[in-house]
Formats: sequence, structure tokens, C-alpha cells
Amino acid sequence: MPSFFKLSQRKKLRSKVKKQKEDPMKVDELTEPIYPLLEDQLSFIKRKTGNSADVVVRKASFDEKLGIKTAVVYVEGISNSQSINEFLIQSIIMNRELHRKSPEKDPFDILKEEIVALGDVKIHLDWDGVFQSLMSGETIVLVDGCSKALSASTRGGEQRSIEEPGSQVTVRGPRDGFTESIGTNISLVRRRIQNPNLWVETMKIGTVTKTDVSLVYIKGIAKEDIVNEVRSRLKRIEIDSILESGYIEQLIEDESFTTFPTFYYTERPDIVAGNLLEGRVSIMVNGTPFALIAPTVFIQFFQSVEDYYSRAYLATSLRFLRILIFFISIIAPASYIAGTTFHQEMIPTQLLIAIAAQRETVPFPAFVEALIMEVAFEILREAGVRMPRAVGSAISIVGALVIGQAAVQAGIVSPAMVIIVAITAIANFATPSFAVAISARIIRFLFMVVAATFGFYGIILGILVLAIHLTSLRSFGVPYFAPLAPLVPSGLGDSVVRTPMWALKKRPSLIANKQNQTRMGKNQHPRPNKSRGMVPRHPQEDQE
Amino acid sequence: MKRNYLILTLHLILCVLLSGCWSKKELTDLAIISAMGLDLNDKGEYVSTLQVINPSNVAGGLQGGGGSKGPPVTVYTATGSNIIEVNQVASTKLPRRRYYAHTNLLVIGEELARKEGIDNILDAFERNPEFRMTAVIIIAQGAKASDLLKVMTPVDKIPANKIIKNLKFTEEQWGEFFTINLQNAIKDLTTTGKSTVITGFSVSGSPEQGKKLENIQDSDPETTIGATGLGIFKEGKLINWFEGKTARGTGWILHKVKNTGISFSWMDKEDAVVYQIIREQTNSIPKIKKGKPHITIEVKAEGNIMELRMPADLMDPLVLLKMEKEIEKTIKDELLLAVEEAKKNKTDIFGFGEAFHQSYPKDWEKLKEGWHDVHFPELAVDVKVDAYIRRTGLRNNANELQ
Amino acid sequence: MEKAKIGAYQLFVLILLFELGSAVLVPIAIEAKRDAWLAILLGMVGGILLFFVYYRLYRFYPKLVLTEYIEKLVGKILGKILSFCYILFFAYSAARVLRDFGEMLLTYAYVNTPLFIVNTLLILVIIYAIQKGIEVLARTGELFFILLYLLAITGFLLLIFSGLFDLKQLKPFLEDGWGLVLKVVASQTLYVPFGEAIVFAMIFPYLKDSKKIKIAGVCGILLSGINLALVMAINISVLGIDLASRSQFPLLSTVQSIQIAEFLERLDVFFMVSMVIGIFFKVSLYFYAAVSATTILFKIKEPSKLVYPMGLAILFMSITIANSYSEHIKEGLIVTTRFLHPFFLVVIPVILLGIAYFKNWGRKRKSQNGAKNASMSQKG
Repeated sequence: MPSFFKLSQRKKLRSKVKKQKEDPMKVDELTEPIYPLLEDQLSFIKRKTGNSADVVVRKASFDEKLGIKTAVVYVEGISNSQSINEFLIQSIIMNRELHRKSPEKDPFDILKEEIVALGDVKIHLDWDGVFQSLMSGETIVLVDGCSKALSASTRGGEQRSIEEPGSQVTVRGPRDGFTESIGTNISLVRRRIQNPNLWVETMKIGTVTKTDVSLVYIKGIAKEDIVNEVRSRLKRIEIDSILESGYIEQLIEDESFTTFPTFYYTERPDIVAGNLLEGRVSIMVNGTPFALIAPTVFIQFFQSVEDYYSRAYLATSLRFLRILIFFISIIAPASYIAGTTFHQEMIPTQLLIAIAAQRETVPFPAFVEALIMEVAFEILREAGVRMPRAVGSAISIVGALVIGQAAVQAGIVSPAMVIIVAITAIANFATPSFAVAISARIIRFLFMVVAATFGFYGIILGILVLAIHLTSLRSFGVPYFAPLAPLVPSGLGDSVVRTPMWALKKRPSLIANKQNQTRMGKNQHPRPNKSRGMVPRHPQEDQE
Repeated sequence: MKRNYLILTLHLILCVLLSGCWSKKELTDLAIISAMGLDLNDKGEYVSTLQVINPSNVAGGLQGGGGSKGPPVTVYTATGSNIIEVNQVASTKLPRRRYYAHTNLLVIGEELARKEGIDNILDAFERNPEFRMTAVIIIAQGAKASDLLKVMTPVDKIPANKIIKNLKFTEEQWGEFFTINLQNAIKDLTTTGKSTVITGFSVSGSPEQGKKLENIQDSDPETTIGATGLGIFKEGKLINWFEGKTARGTGWILHKVKNTGISFSWMDKEDAVVYQIIREQTNSIPKIKKGKPHITIEVKAEGNIMELRMPADLMDPLVLLKMEKEIEKTIKDELLLAVEEAKKNKTDIFGFGEAFHQSYPKDWEKLKEGWHDVHFPELAVDVKVDAYIRRTGLRNNANELQ
Repeated sequence: MEKAKIGAYQLFVLILLFELGSAVLVPIAIEAKRDAWLAILLGMVGGILLFFVYYRLYRFYPKLVLTEYIEKLVGKILGKILSFCYILFFAYSAARVLRDFGEMLLTYAYVNTPLFIVNTLLILVIIYAIQKGIEVLARTGELFFILLYLLAITGFLLLIFSGLFDLKQLKPFLEDGWGLVLKVVASQTLYVPFGEAIVFAMIFPYLKDSKKIKIAGVCGILLSGINLALVMAINISVLGIDLASRSQFPLLSTVQSIQIAEFLERLDVFFMVSMVIGIFFKVSLYFYAAVSATTILFKIKEPSKLVYPMGLAILFMSITIANSYSEHIKEGLIVTTRFLHPFFLVVIPVILLGIAYFKNWGRKRKSQNGAKNASMSQKG
């Protein structure tokens, strides 16, 4: 809250009381101190929440002789009703005599110190805090005659349990995924990194939604500059709502004029933990299982978490495959168009004759043919993604029939084109990162247009522009194409290739803190005892 | 910056949209020419023959049709006074744009090769970016190029492919004829110390019958084409044909022989043993002895005995040594025969002159003038052959009637 | 001057791509016949010496680019005139290379496309790159350096496997004696492409570690020289001297003669990719030098606004420069290599170096502190 409000609080108080009734959302009113009378307090809460049904008020008398009443207020559903009943309401009712024994004490203090049997207890002096606590699932305890409120942490309620994440499935690796609750998510990471240096900075973003956003990093491994930069960018956000981490991503990214993501997002706690250990920063948002990771480099999107769990040779060859896949999904249709309309000399004669024979009956130019097929495929895919699962299979059958069989038999498209579209589609599905796969989908169409107008010259220029664009991107100051361009020799071990684990001695030097880059001891190469093979023989041992 | 992007993208879009597609050529608009033939007619004009592929009649299996609906190729001819003109005239008959990038074969009629030579016509092919320098060039021996290109061939449906493959495999397995592409031909033409050799193909049977589709529906086609001779050129003009052993001798010296069978006599029986070469190395070593040019051809051959038509003890190394001597003699005879024939024709098809140029650039200055006419026929040529029999196949001795 | 830092490796890559640029495509030093490779290697030695001249100049003024220290060395008015000449020279060179490129593309692949369109497309991409700055250009260079060498190695292996090499074609060695080779070196290879490294005098101050300039430059020129000599030797050994010297683009003819297994043939696209990449970097660097020199000379605050009009100017220059390819080449041989190159690449830098030595020597005499300061600033 801006501080000058507090200075002129009193004056504004009187003048604004009447207006407030018309506009319950007025912010100024919330900075007012809490009214002393319980009735006023409760009616204010009811008015502010518009008598919402899920706001529960339970009154109880605290000291019948003195007529002190208390009230417990909580929001049903987001709070843990069992602990409210047991540790708050029951406790208050059972301990009524405590005040009678020592009436000189402030009933509020007694309540706080001796009755409320819950961990996180806070005292609020103004309404703003009261509502924030109430709406985040805490329980408010009000005492008649006290112009303050007590909040006890009773967050809870129904949540999705931890399940295997739907995206980024692995064969080998942990099976737990993030849920919609930020507390659970942080705990999943904390369980993996049991270290006090794992710092979690939480802030509320969204003037209406008041969403919890946490900045998670490992103190000492993450670069201070980057943490400060992320924090200041988060602080700069002024928006009514944050419903998903995508909101944050779009508000704090370095370059918005691009199809490529400058944030990595994941719903796997092991990926978050791994990235935190490389010195990256994670942004978690309440209400979504997707955590953001920054700074991000392009090559990250071709790395799967399983690369680190499986052995190096497999991981390296898979990464090469993924890069190939990315290129195929971008330029396969474009190359087909360029090859069949500009550079027929490139195609081996036999193949050219085969393609020409297929195309004899096709009434469209190659570009239009490719465009029709690609668009048809995109439609099918979009339909498949959005439709209920039960209808999904029907769509794939219709799609396969329409695209695969009927169109070819009717001579509207050539079988070669179907093959190209199919390869492109499969390649696109095989791209490990959905975000990059989507940008490849868009860029593919641009490449098709340049290929149709200038052939391979257009494609090469397109690749040049793409390369210039990609290398000009930055994610929180880190060049997007690092460690390839600019070349960081120490980072190459975990880029296109993944060297064996014992050779990955350093954290990425552009990302991790300069003082703390070594991540393992010396001589980590496995050294098993040689028992067979070309080993010098010791006759004495044999005798034994 | 934002405005710059906008301007940039706007310009790009405008460029793309306004530019259209100048160099675009749809596949369905192309007449893919598989082979081109050149002849000379009575008036001294060029006659060009274009063998155009009908893709749907070649690629079988599509839509259940199979490839036998029509002829795999169609041939168009046109007449004109230079190569470009003659080909543009051809477009009056063609329904599509002529496309030369897949023209893998250039056939030159014997009359044209003898009268005009090939040096003038090759420029048009060299200059055109569409035409490929890897296209194979052959001469229609005793025929017109147009006759050769009109013959339908079995197995390989496209006649041009048939000729190219035919040439490739006969080079690999027999060594008498070999593939010369445009680049090789031009290289030889522009080298003073070397003359060109180009393989000749001829038509056997009636050319008229060969045009018909029935020709390939017969198990024994009436009209066939095949390699028959090696055309020897002098100053770009065809002057003679080498055939048989002379041709293979040329192949030896040019280091083109890969696998070939050499039959030699054994114990006075003619052609009793066949020796199959598996590896061969030829070197021509120039020397100037007492101011006179002198060439030593060194041949090293390795191979196996493949056929034995009379008993011989192949287990005895001494026998094999004797056989090696015979082989060496046979090969040497072939080589000398080729050299003699070339000398008679006064044309250095072996590139001996170029070898002198490379090793004795100063002496070459004197030899250069009149190399083919004066110095080459007088050139002293030595042949040294080393032949080795490595293996003798699955049997050691020949079967004998008991 | 923009705020940017590039590393020594990036400088090496840029030098390499710049030198290879168009030189690898055209028949460079073919006048030396079969000894073209030798002429290239000798030119490279000369190029390294010239590079030392540029480097030494830079060491005198480690924070300034070429056009800035010209003013300091020869005085304001003459300096400004010379700077302006250099701008014209850079722009003209960029236009020439762009024209080379357009002609190449039109000759062998896009016969029916107007030169204007082909050049426009490339210059637009270049403008885009230059607007992003030297850092991005250097990074893009790093990526395409890898691509180019992958292509080159593949091409080389394919040539070997297709058995096209005939090393005898390179004989006889020195058929026309040393005279011809040295003449070609002095009239061509010394300047194109090696002396052209003067554009890097406009880039040196961006380096993070100024001490590594020397090693990066020498390595870059050395490797590019060896590569060019190798390519030329390969061209001649595959095509023979006659075809190689008659080819407008010998490398294209060489690549086109590859034929393996009936499938790997017609690899013209290899040539096209390497061509576009090489030309892109060559034009970009010339263009960048021209833009940054103009910014300095006319004290323009926003260089990025200058990029667009200058790009268009280069585009139009590239088209109006000559009527035909032959005219363009002739112009290049007579005007550029006979007058412009010796003047801008050799004479002026050497004179400047002389003046710089003289001035610094004088200064040293006056006070020894000056020398200390100079060395301090060099360290910084």
C-alpha cells in the first residue's frame, strides 16, 4: 500500500464512510483499523464479502460474566475444517474459564497465547490483512472490544493429489508431478533439495486474485544479478489477475516479438530441482502445476530430464535425433516445395520420375497442395486436442481416411505429399518441448511461403533470419543460443552432446554463480577393480 | 525498433508477394528429357532428337494401373542451324517446358562426329547451367542418333538409362568400352597432349521395328542396341573405330579396366585358360632418352583363374608362374596392338603427350607442335606387365574323362 | 559505437567467414594457372603482414576504430576526407560483393529472376542482422561456421569417394616460373581476400581481450588461406586447368561433378548454401564497417536508423555498378584491384603506421609518462 494513505488516514476516514457503501471494492476502506465492536466487525466482513455462502461465521461466548464474545470466521472449502473445529472452536469453548481466572489479562492475548493451538498465528490491525488471510484459507478470530484480529493458519481443503505429470513423461525417473497447490509444489522441491540454502520468496501478485507467486532459488548457486532481476521484474507486475504461470511469463519475458519461449516450463519437480542446482531460478504460481524456469537457453528444449538419468551415449544420440527432428519439422514441407518446383535437378532421376508420375493428376501447384495438406493436418490436430477423449479416436479415423486414402485416390494430393506431411507431423510430435514444437509449427508455414517463391534460396535466407533472430534473443541477460553461440567451451559438455556424468564437473558458467561452479569432487570417473582381462597376474593370489 | 521491424516485415512481404515466382517450374509443366541426340542432315543443319520421359508410364504400381499403358518415352525431333535454335524449334512440338537437368545421355550421330567434329557443339551444353557435365556422351555407330534414341528397350524402360547402365557395367566387367561424360570429353578436347575416345553404340535389327512398343513385349526383342566400338578422335573429329582387343588395350592404358577375363593358350591349346582380373594398376612413365621421348607403360594385374579347359596342376606354383608369363604376354600384345593402331591413326588417345607435359614441361614446348602427327607415331613405347594369380577358385584341377 | 563485446574466437570466426566469403566461389588467382594455390598461399603471407600493420595501428589507439584514429593521425580535415573515402570504399566493396552474389545466383540457378529481387532479399536479411549489432552477427557466425565446415568436410569426402581427384592435373609445377605467381600475388591475392581484413580495424575495439586479436587474426587468415588454396587445388585437380579457368564458378563445377551411387549427385545446393553464408558475412561486415564509420564521422546518435537507408544505397549501387557480369568483373580487376585496393589496404595504413610511430616516438622523447599512459590504456 502506498504509505501516504496512512499519513492522512484520519481525514479520509470520515469523508469516505458514506461512499464506501456504494463501492465495496474500494481499497481505502481496507486500510482502516478494525472496529472495536464485534457486531460491527462481523457486519463489515459480511458486507465486504457480499454475504457469500462460503464465508462461515461461528460465534462463541468467551466470558459469559463479562459478556465477551468471540467469533471465528473462515472460508469453507479452502480451509481445513477439521483443525478449525478441533483447535479453534473446541479449544475456545473448553477454555472459557481461563479469562475468568485472570480477568486482568487482555482476552485477546489469552486467546493468542493459550487457546489457539495452531502453528502460524498472526495479529492484524487493519482489514486489509484480515481479508488477505481469510481469503487464503486462514481462520480469523475476532474478540468483542478488541480492535485487532487474530489469524490462524488453517489452509487446506480439497486438492488434487500428487499424480504422474501428463506432459514430459519419462520411462525412467520419478513419477510425481506438481499440483495446483503452491505449498505442495514447493514441498516437492524441498524434499529433493534438503538444504537451508533453498530460498523461497513469496509475494502476492494480482490486485484482484492476490495469487501467491514464489521465487525459488538456491542461495549461493544462483547468480545474485539474475535473482535480483527476476525479483524486480516480478515486483513491476501490476495486473488484476494471475491465473497461470503463462501470465507471468508473458509479462516479464525479455523479448515478446518472437515465437520462441524464453522460459522453460515444467510440471516435474525433478526438472525444477535440477535446474535450481544449475543456478537457475524457478517461479512458482499458486493454482497451476506449471513452474517457470529462467534463464533459459535454446538447447534446453532439446534436453529431456531422462538424458541425465540414462547413460551418456544414449542421451547424446537422442539429442542429435531431436535436433534433426526440429529441422525436419521446420523445413520438410518447404524442402519438398523447393525441390519439386525450383530444383528438380537435385532430385535423383528415378525419384523425380516417381514424384512426377504421382503429380500428373494433381490439379494444384505443389505449394497449394502442401498448404492444403498442412492446414488439414493442423485442423485435425486441433480437433483432436480439444475434443473429448471419446470423440478423439473418431477424428483420427476420419482424418486418416480423408487424408490418407480418399485424397490420394481421388488424385487431389500426391502420395509423396502425404508422406511429407506425415513425417513432419510425427517429427513435430516428437519434439520434446511443446513450446518449441508450437513455434516450429508456425515457422514451418513461413518457410513454405519463402520456399514457394524463391526455392532453396528462400529457405537458406529463412534459416539465416531464424539464426539471427535466435542468437539475438536473451533470457535474463543470458544469450539464448549459449553455449553454442557465443561458444562457451565449458558448457559444451551438456549441450548438443551430453558427456558422461563424471565429466560434467562444472555448472553452466553463464548461469551459475561465478564463485560456486564446481559441482563434484575430483576423480569422479568410476574406477572399478580390474579383475579380468589384460591385468598383470599375481601368482601368489592365484595360489590362495 | 518496433517501427523498424514493421517496415522490414512489410518490405519482405511486399517483395514476396509482388515478386511472383520467376524461376518456378511445376513438375507437371516439365518435359523431362532423358536423352538428347544430334545428327547432321543433308543440308548441313543440325537435327536434334529429344527423348522425353512419360512419367506415368514409367513409374508403375500407382493406382493399380501399372506402367504398360503407353510408351515410357516419346521422341521429338527438330532441325536448326545451331544447338540452341534447334532445341527451341523442338518446343513447337512439345506440350511442356523442356527440362535438361536430367538429360544423362548425349548421343552424337556418326556422320556429325566425322564431318563436323564434336568441339563446336559442346559449348552450348557447357554454358547452359541446366545441362549437366556428368551426362554421358556416346556416338551412334553406323547409325543416326535419332534411330538409336527411338529404340524401345526391355528391362530398363527408359532407353537412355539402359544405355548408361549398359556402358557402366560393360566397363566394370569387360573393359572394352567405357563411360565418358561431357566433362571428360571437354577436358580431353582442350588438352593438347591427349585425344578423345568415345564409345559407340549401334542398332541391330530394324530401327523401324524398334520404335514400336511391341519390341519390348517380345522375350527376344527384334531390335536391340549395344556397345560395339570405341570411337577414336583426332582434333575433335571421329576418325576410326577400335573394336575387340584393340579397344581393350586402349582401356588398359587408360586404366579403365576393372574386371575382365583374359583367355590365353596353354599347352598349345588356344584360349584354354581364363584369367579374371580383380585389380589392375597402369602407369605411363614418360622419359626423355637422348632427346627422344620414350614411354614405359607399367601394368600390374591381380586375378584368379576362372576356367580351365584342359588338365593342369594348379597346385603347383611353378605352373602358375608359367601361366603368369602367358598372361603377361597376352596383355602386352593387347596393349601394343592398341598403341600401334593409335599410331597408325596419328592420334594420341592415351594422353602420353600430357604425361610429357607434366613431367618435362620444357621439352614439351618443343614436342607440342605436331605431337599427334610427328612425334607420337615415332614414340618409343615399352610395356612391362606384372600379372599375379592369387587364387584358382573352388577346384584345384580340371575334370578329366576317365 | 555500440555497446558490445565479442570474444577472440568470434573474431576468428568472423575473419574466417569474411575471407572465405566470395573468394571460395570465384576463380581466384586463376591467372597463375596450375600454381593458383601457391599464389593464394603467398598472398596469405602478405595478408598476415598487412594484418600486423592494422593490428599495430590499433595498439597505438586501443579504444578507437580506424576512422577515428585517422583523424588523430593526419589532422581533422584530411582525416575527415580520408574517413569519408573509407566509407565509400566499404560501401562500394559491399555493393561489389553483393553484385557478385546476385550474378552467381542468376547465372546458375535463378535464370529468370531479376537481379534486383535477389539482391533485395539478401540485403534485407543483412539489414536485419546489422540492426541487431555486431554481437549477434558474431554469434550467427559461430553457428554458420560449424555448418559451413560440416558442408565442406562432407563435400571433400564425397569428392574423394567419387574418385575425381587427379593430382597430376596440378603438374607441371611453376610452368611459367615464379614471375607469374608473384605478379598474381601482387595484383590480386594480397588484396582479395586477405588485405580486405582492414574492415576488422573497425571492429577491434569491441574485443573483450585485446591481446588475443593477434592470434585470432593470424589463425583466421592462416586457416582461410589454407582452405582457399586447398579449394583451388581441388578445383584444378578435378576439372583440369582449362575447365577451371574457363569456369565462372569453379567450385560449382567441381561440386556438380560429384556422382556417387546414382543418388548423391547434383549437389548444387551445397554450393548455394556455402555461397549465401559466405556472401552474407562478407557483405555484412563491409556494411557494418561503412555504417559505423558513417556514425562516427557524422556523429549520428542512433546508428540503427542509418542502417536502412545505407542498405538501400548499397542495394542500388550493387545494381547500377555495371551492365553485365563481364563489365562487373573487368571493373573489379582494373578499378578495384589496381587502384582502390593498393591505396586503401596498403598505402594508407602503412603511411598511418609511419605517422603513428613518428608521433609516439616524439611523445616518448618528450615525457616518459606518455609511454606509461599508453601502456596503461592498452592494458585497460
